Amino acid sequence: MKHYSEADLLETYYMQPDEATPIIAHVNDCVECQNRYRRLAQKLRDMAACPADKPATFWTRQRLMIMRAVDNAREQSQRAVRVGRVAAAAMLAFILGGAVVYKSVEPSLKAPAVVVSQQTAAPATSTDDLQVPRDPWQSDELKDFGTVVQWESWVPDSSKESSL
Amino acid sequence: MGSVATFRLTQINASDPSDRDLIVRTLGGDGGAFGILVDRFQRKIYRVAYAIVRDEVEADTVTQDTFVQAFTHLAKFQGRSEFETWLTRIAINRSRDTLRRRRFVRLFSSDDENREGWVEPVDDRPDPEREIMAHQLRAAIERAEHKLSAQQKVIFRLRHYESRSLEDIAELLGLRGGTVRAHLFRAIHKIRKELAEWVTAREGLPR
Repeated sequence: MKHYSEADLLETYYMQPDEATPIIAHVNDCVECQNRYRRLAQKLRDMAACPADKPATFWTRQRLMIMRAVDNAREQSQRAVRVGRVAAAAMLAFILGGAVVYKSVEPSLKAPAVVVSQQTAAPATSTDDLQVPRDPWQSDELKDFGTVVQWESWVPDSSKESSL
Repeated sequence: MGSVATFRLTQINASDPSDRDLIVRTLGGDGGAFGILVDRFQRKIYRVAYAIVRDEVEADTVTQDTFVQAFTHLAKFQGRSEFETWLTRIAINRSRDTLRRRRFVRLFSSDDENREGWVEPVDDRPDPEREIMAHQLRAAIERAEHKLSAQQKVIFRLRHYESRSLEDIAELLGLRGGTVRAHLFRAIHKIRKELAEWVTAREGLPR
């Protein structure tokens, strides 16, 4: 008859009972393995003993520490909310103030805008004039040739023919 | 007599505010309500933290951090699970962080190999053989634990020290039952390897 070692029984101890059915069946029938399993289980339980049986002062101190940390966290979150509100109010005031100032200054801002547009429009007009003169005879370019133009215009038709 | 005791017990339980009531009160700004929650769960959370980190000071820190984190995110608690389960999950995550940090610190300090120490359980029974066996078993588990991955370690410790069921562990870690079973099986296999040598030699069993 094969007996199981503690190493084999370890699996039985930790895994689900239905997953170690052959071992459990054997342990139930075999007194030796039963004793071995009991010893192992006892040892494992001893090992798992947690020092949670602390004095009441330990838990009180821990609770106080937690509550202090919680208070700090709450204060910080409240402070963050407060700072956020102040920032939002400041932003709103800035925007509203800006709007009011803009409204009050708006008329005076409009006039220079018109002047600027005229100033910019003037060169455009002169450029047009240069390109397409309204009266070609009055243009500056023909001023120097005014006498020649006048002479040519006073020459009689007969002299023109003889010269030809 | 029995009925009086039952009545008293029921009366006490009925007078205790439920977790949900306390949560609502805490969210409404009642700090005392959260104090009751702390008082109610601090021992359990400490146990879980200690089971994983195996250090009293660190378990204390993890417990405190768990409650502070729970308070900070209390509004996000949707009540899909029990408050205790939610707290335990936070504690497990914090404990994992501690293990990870410890592993990182160990990278830079070679003499800290046995840092993850064991608090010797008090065993005042005068049985030298039993003492030796317990010591060897403990040593084997300790050696094997060093070879476990972080996930295996957490699962094994929750099973070993907290006697949590596999389903419970799966729920706490957000894993499937099969995954937990596989991790635990591998962990036990490693421990068995460590144990096999001395058990076989001592008991004269065939390998």
